[in-house]
Amino acid sequence: MHLGMAFLTPLFLFLAALAVPILILYMLKLRRREVEISSVMLWQMLLRDREANAPWQKLKRNLLLFLQLLLLALLVLSLARPFLSVPTVARGTLIVLLDASASMNASDVQPSRFDVAKAGIRELVDGLASDSRMSLILVGRQPSVLASATSDKDTLRAALSSAQASQSPADWEAAFALAGGAARAGLLAETRIVIFSDGGLPSNLPPLPGDVRYVPIGSSADNVAIEALSLRPTGGGPQLFARIANYGEADRAVIVSIKIGERLFSAQQLNVPAGGAEELILPDLPDTPAVYSAQLSAPGVEEGAAFDALALDDTAWAVYQPPTSGRVLVLSPGNVFLEQMLTALPGLQPFRASPTTPLPEDPFDLYVYDSVTSTAQLPSAELLFINPISDTAIFEVGGIFTNTKLARVAANDPLTQYLDWSKVGILQARRVAVPDWARVLVSAEGGPLVLAGETGGRRVAIITFRLQDSDLPLQLAYPVLMANLINYLAPAQAFSAPDGLRPGETLLIKPRGGDTAIGIDDPDGERFAAQTTEAGVLFTASNKLGVYTVVSNQAVLGNFAVNLFNAAESNIRPAATISVGRAEVTATPREEVGQLEIWPWLALAAFALLLLEWWIYHRGATLPAAPGVLGWFRRKKSAAQ
Amino acid sequence: MLFDESTLRKLERLALVAAQVRAGVMKGERRSTKRGTSIEFADYRDYVRGDDLRRVDWNVYARLERPFIKLLEEEEDLAVHILLDASRSMDFGEGENHKFRYAQRLAAALGYIALAAGDRLTLTILQDSAPVAQYGPARGRGHTLRLIRFIEEQEPRGATELDAALRSYALSAKRPGLIFLISDLFAPDGYQDGVAQFQGRGYEVTLLHVLAPEELDPQLAGDLRLIDAETGAPQDITLDGGLRDRYRQRVQAWRDEIEAHCLKRHINYLPISTQTAWDELVLYQLRRRGLLK
Repeated sequence: MHLGMAFLTPLFLFLAALAVPILILYMLKLRRREVEISSVMLWQMLLRDREANAPWQKLKRNLLLFLQLLLLALLVLSLARPFLSVPTVARGTLIVLLDASASMNASDVQPSRFDVAKAGIRELVDGLASDSRMSLILVGRQPSVLASATSDKDTLRAALSSAQASQSPADWEAAFALAGGAARAGLLAETRIVIFSDGGLPSNLPPLPGDVRYVPIGSSADNVAIEALSLRPTGGGPQLFARIANYGEADRAVIVSIKIGERLFSAQQLNVPAGGAEELILPDLPDTPAVYSAQLSAPGVEEGAAFDALALDDTAWAVYQPPTSGRVLVLSPGNVFLEQMLTALPGLQPFRASPTTPLPEDPFDLYVYDSVTSTAQLPSAELLFINPISDTAIFEVGGIFTNTKLARVAANDPLTQYLDWSKVGILQARRVAVPDWARVLVSAEGGPLVLAGETGGRRVAIITFRLQDSDLPLQLAYPVLMANLINYLAPAQAFSAPDGLRPGETLLIKPRGGDTAIGIDDPDGERFAAQTTEAGVLFTASNKLGVYTVVSNQAVLGNFAVNLFNAAESNIRPAATISVGRAEVTATPREEVGQLEIWPWLALAAFALLLLEWWIYHRGATLPAAPGVLGWFRRKKSAAQ
Repeated sequence: MLFDESTLRKLERLALVAAQVRAGVMKGERRSTKRGTSIEFADYRDYVRGDDLRRVDWNVYARLERPFIKLLEEEEDLAVHILLDASRSMDFGEGENHKFRYAQRLAAALGYIALAAGDRLTLTILQDSAPVAQYGPARGRGHTLRLIRFIEEQEPRGATELDAALRSYALSAKRPGLIFLISDLFAPDGYQDGVAQFQGRGYEVTLLHVLAPEELDPQLAGDLRLIDAETGAPQDITLDGGLRDRYRQRVQAWRDEIEAHCLKRHINYLPISTQTAWDELVLYQLRRRGLLK
């Protein structure tokens, strides 16, 4: 291996010929402006003094010439781009894969495995030859190309600086697909794929084209992790289950602290054997919605201090939500369509009562008045009126109308979503005066057919015709309308994630009718707007570990947790080899020769020289006069004054 | 015009002031150290008992039948010599700061005062290596206008050989007294020997060193070729702020040198910038220095 200095663009050295005009300029006399003055006597005296007392004045001009020639030399050398040959891991077309999985957050090497990997890649970039190109792929949950086949070192450094480790496992298959594509796009003979990782790669990865090299990161396997945390409802109250695994080489005593909200509920010491696991069960917990958290710590060490190499799996969360369902009371002379629908809709417990008897004392979530007179005071719960036959406290009923054709459905209303009224025929309907708290969802020429709104702290919906007076129950519009109305009046639980999510998993949130804005706050408080689909709202940004909050119209709908719970990531033992295709790739020493360019230093020296030249030029003009007769007279005069 | 109405009025005022000053001076106080042997008749006064009979002018007595005593110049009046440098280097300066115009006004002022005080005035123009023109000796106010016209007619030209010119004048002048030399002293061959000649003959010398503001603080910059107005000699120079500072210091040092030289030899020296109002110079500065008596 030959190490030395050479030039990338030696043609620029011809610019050294610029020294000739500089020398000529110095030799030419200056053109001077003629000025007549009374006498040159004093000027001659002055110049004689100056030359006598400051011999460097003669030198100054020559010194400046020398500096300018030196400046020219430095600039010409910089342009010729000299470089030093340095040992490096690889040259040619490089495809670098940077492992950004959760285990790369381990701090067994300082400051973290990920930062050490970045430093290694930075060295590769510094030594990149001018004819080499590098692509940089960040391998996280969704691998991404940070830089694509570029030789611009600044671009590569910027891309590297922006890379961050994730808290989720890495998708190596997708990363290998990206790398393979990038390799096949270039010259295979010269392509090298360099993988910076701690080795948690799956064993069934496809082979990669080109020469594969592996740079292992990490030194220790010392990690204790919470592998599971969940809550299950039982007869006496929910039960908490936790599992703690030790991936290190020594037995560890750990303290498991369980908190409900912010309050410490339990702290127990477990002795987890090396390579093994221990379980913890807490029964008979309070049957109220709460966020539970589990934290590992070492005995004798204060809480929050790191006690193993990977802190991400030392904390876990679980959210307990008691099961609920909406109770519905139907007051109707008998309506098979209605009863069937209410039984079919999920999350409802329908009950029937006779319209003539007084209302039961147990409260219900929704009351349905079907073709009855509601003379009693209306309960303070959600209400659904079908075919109201008399005035109520909150609206007035007029006569019957039959002009029910040309029904218009309100557009952009969540309650009319997916509602197609075009095939519905209605014989007759009651003319209900639209109260100011209600909006019309479906209307005909003769009057409103479906209304809904909020009044007196309750949600109310009104269908102004008897279901049996129409063919609505036989249309597709019927289940759509009923689902929308029930969802508005008695929503089921918006989402369900009893065991929490893993990073990258998605969550479906069903908004209740009337929930126009769904937002999810991540553990750092950042608000995500979720994308809507036909089935509901799909949340995909579960990258951070912790507790998420789902809100709608500023009311909290609930929480869910995201935990690592990944044995492959928690087992941080660095691998000496990785499997790529059928080959085993071991760690690569530095055997190749890279190029370290030195022109930035030359340019810096040229700039410093420019400053020096400027200083010398100005300094020469303001040298103090020599001591002696003149100085004596001057001092005498200033003393006399 | 060099002497307009206001200038003449200023001169009048100066003369009055000077006369008042003179009146207080006792006769004989300014007697030079060397008594001249040439008895130049100057004036008469009445014979008083006790006077030396040899000093009676018998011709006058014969005519007027009254005895009068002849007075010698030494006892009665003062010889004032004004030497005005009219070399080419004096032709420098802008407007009121023009050196020769200033020197002319200065010479006129001093001459006027001398005439008004009854002194014996001689005003001489110096050019090249010798005096080239002279007014006087003259006494009395009657000469004022002619003196002023004489001064106005002069033009600065020729080179400065001050030493030679001064020596030449010293040899020819007869009556020692006060000498006022008005010059810029841009004399390569110096002035010291010539001045020493005057002192050897008993004169009291006053150097009025006149310079223009542009000569004290030149507002020039860049790559220049300076041309000497008298000799045409060139001097290449690259003038920046630093060099200009050094020139200012050099001018001051030069004046300091001259002042020190004069101090040692009891020569009165006054460095003047033509920016100073000339009448104020005469009225206050000269008096303060004791040069105007």
